[in-house]
Amino acid sequence: MPRINLGGWAESAVGWLQSHLSWLFDAVSTVLTGMYDGVGAALGAPDALLMAGILAVIAWWLRGLLAAVLAFAGLALIDSFGLWDRATSTLALILVASVITLALAVPLGIWAARNKRVSAVLRPVLDVMQTMPAFVYLIPGVMFFSIGPMPGLIATIVFSMPPGVRMTELGIRQVDAELVEAARAFGTTPRDTLLRVQLPLALPTIMAGVNQVIMLALSMVVIAGMAGAGGLGESVYAAVTQVDIGGGVESGLAVVVLAMYLDRMTGALGKRVSPLGRRAAAKSAAATGPAPKFLSYRPGTAVATVGVVVLALVAGGMHLAQGDGDRRSVAAGKNVGQGQRVKLGYFPWDEAVASTYLWQNVLERRGYQPDVKQLDPGPLYTALAQGQMDLQFDSWLPTTHKQYLDRYGDKLSDLGSWYGPTSLELTVPSYVKGVDSLADLKGKGAQFGGKIVGIESSAGMMAKLNDKVLKEYGLEGEYEVVSSSTSTMLAELDRAIKKKEPVVTTLWSPHWAYGTYDLKKLKDPKGAWGEGEQIHAIGKKSFAKDFPRVAEWVKNFKMSEKDLSSLEAAIQKGGKGKEKASAAAWLDARPGLVDKLAPVGA
Amino acid sequence: MGLSGSGKSTLLRMLNGLSEPTAGRVLYDGQDLTALSASELREVRSRHISMVFQHFALFPHRSVLENAGYGLEVRGVPRAEREARAAEALELAGLKGWETSWPDELSGGMQQRVGLARALATDADLLLMDESFSALDPLIRRDMQDQLLDLQKRLKKTIVFITHDLNEAMRLGDRIAVMRDGRIVQNGTAEDILVRPANDYVASFIQDVDRSRVLTAGSIMDAPDGAAGVPDGAATVSAETPVAELFTPFSRSGAPVGVTGEDGKPAGVVTRDRLLAALAEPATDATDAPDATDATDATDADVTAVTEVTAGA
Repeated sequence: MPRINLGGWAESAVGWLQSHLSWLFDAVSTVLTGMYDGVGAALGAPDALLMAGILAVIAWWLRGLLAAVLAFAGLALIDSFGLWDRATSTLALILVASVITLALAVPLGIWAARNKRVSAVLRPVLDVMQTMPAFVYLIPGVMFFSIGPMPGLIATIVFSMPPGVRMTELGIRQVDAELVEAARAFGTTPRDTLLRVQLPLALPTIMAGVNQVIMLALSMVVIAGMAGAGGLGESVYAAVTQVDIGGGVESGLAVVVLAMYLDRMTGALGKRVSPLGRRAAAKSAAATGPAPKFLSYRPGTAVATVGVVVLALVAGGMHLAQGDGDRRSVAAGKNVGQGQRVKLGYFPWDEAVASTYLWQNVLERRGYQPDVKQLDPGPLYTALAQGQMDLQFDSWLPTTHKQYLDRYGDKLSDLGSWYGPTSLELTVPSYVKGVDSLADLKGKGAQFGGKIVGIESSAGMMAKLNDKVLKEYGLEGEYEVVSSSTSTMLAELDRAIKKKEPVVTTLWSPHWAYGTYDLKKLKDPKGAWGEGEQIHAIGKKSFAKDFPRVAEWVKNFKMSEKDLSSLEAAIQKGGKGKEKASAAAWLDARPGLVDKLAPVGA
Repeated sequence: MGLSGSGKSTLLRMLNGLSEPTAGRVLYDGQDLTALSASELREVRSRHISMVFQHFALFPHRSVLENAGYGLEVRGVPRAEREARAAEALELAGLKGWETSWPDELSGGMQQRVGLARALATDADLLLMDESFSALDPLIRRDMQDQLLDLQKRLKKTIVFITHDLNEAMRLGDRIAVMRDGRIVQNGTAEDILVRPANDYVASFIQDVDRSRVLTAGSIMDAPDGAAGVPDGAATVSAETPVAELFTPFSRSGAPVGVTGEDGKPAGVVTRDRLLAALAEPATDATDAPDATDATDATDADVTAVTEVTAGA
């Protein structure tokens, strides 16, 4: 069987689209980002509890008092977790994605219902859309639309469209053929048949599709968080990569609250908007007899609208009164940045978080407006190469991030190393006696179950471990390297240490695990791991031209292991969501450091 | 009238263009419906030909009044007029007071009355009824048949009524076309079919029909100048009297019964022998049914035969 180079074709197709249709992607991006920003601003503008009140009034209108109380409690819970802003941006993402999805899916479903050929063509396309792992188009999405909400939005739309199309088609096809014939027999035009007979009768099914679309959109936001979509997805993703169980549970719970709210509300909306649904509701109400009055009371549409408007006005008033007193004043003579925006990207590795938030504080005190964004390495390098991001601090060279430099090297600028050398190693807990170097592992395979707990199989160190290190020490065959993910590896390490079981894992320095657990780096007398790496700051190609002063400061930036670990510890201790404040406190505790990092004047 | 699969419904749907004939024409008031554009055809359907369905085909998301007014709504009649005419049609159908109900709150018979009202509201000249009473239970069906006959007397509509029930066909139809395998095998009045079945198929069909209720005195009478004269003082009946009602006079005396025409003048006479002969199984030889043979042999498209039915009704 000859090799069919489908992957290569896909790659060149993506490249071609990127270079020839960028205007189209830009236009789409402008429209969608505009919608997202608008909806996000509207949802995020009121005070959290007021907004929760508005959503609770809607719940009251759609389902009754109990639903309203539960909705308010759930939303207040999100606020108390400190996840409100993220929840509103997730909500905005879902709403925009769902609206666009439905605007595409319903007409497609109608078309498919009326034309067998369209239906036959659509079916496999929908299958692909629904089952193709989202990561596959998330990265090209970044290439076309830059990081931010767009790739997440696109991924969400692609993923959640199929049920919308299918349920619309099904709903219309399910309408009794005799009814459609009756409509025709009275001289109804095809358009009126659709509007007066088919759509009203298909509405309950279509609303079930809407409900599914929204649920799938919600499940997609977590994945979209990896491409910088922000919101709860980013929190979940960050919590997972940092083995932050508490944070994971909290942000996961916030997703659940949103999911339940949206699910119940769209379900009830289906009953409210469709005549058949109203009819069924009236029938069941008549059948069950009167329920307690205050529980079943639902305000009429007018009353509910008034409630929402009043709350919104209160929110608007508070917003005005509050003003924007949040602006940080920059000391006179040190305002180098003059409000220039700098886009800093990082992936959730501890030294990246530490250095990025450190510099966010430093640049802010020099009058810049640094925006900080968390991304996966792939999207981040892509964004830098395209100039959509300005700077990132955590480039491990020459090995770990070699692939990205090979690909984008000529579109990036290296601002030099600020930390090094790093080291890669295999590590065991210090209670594992008699194993101090890689050579000691030989013959002890049974003790460790023949397993070395690895990280992502794509990581450079995994290839090195398999190809070189195991061979040098004659460990192949005896040990199998289990690839998983960094967070799984850390969770396994944590589990083993709690049970005092022997375990050997891949690890690297600097890493907070060395501060948290009592670990032993296995010595590498043969130098199989090779030289340590340097951590570089990498900017976009024109970084030095756009930000000459910052480029100068970053080139001179150096950090010792002691400083870095104390900064990492401070941020770890400060907790999730407070990284910036923790870094600021760490910085304030070292007077003169800002001037040393970012000198101004002669 | 015909068994299922005989092509009745297909034929009916050709009359208003819901199905397109592969050959032949459908003439309505001199106009060839198969030659019309889609929008012209819609115009014909919304003004001139309306339809009543087997399973009522009421729109479950519309009230009874909205259902009855549907045809007018599609035509763009203003709301006030539409509702007035729909209410009028509902009253004709015997549903006054049910306007604000929903279809699922009505019994089957009442639902079909809504279907009938919907068809009447557009004031179409031609009503197509596709097994409209088949889904109703027998008592209700009889009621509906009576009401339809009553409406027909008052409104003088042309109605093409499809059924698989010969008794229903005999009761309702001025003329009956019997179909088999997509063809009309006989086309005539109820009596034609009973007395002169075109072939064995039709004959086997009519075996179970209560002939005494279908045949009338007028259809079996002999000319008054025939062999037996009408004796003075003999009973007389009108020509439309079902044969069943002749049993009483014959049971009193063996004398022939006089038959009077619409004008009240003697039109003929029925003897006891003639009555018994008429009730006996019909002969199926061709000479008895010249019309029917013509219809069987007709090679023209089925549609032509049916347009004849509608025109003649």
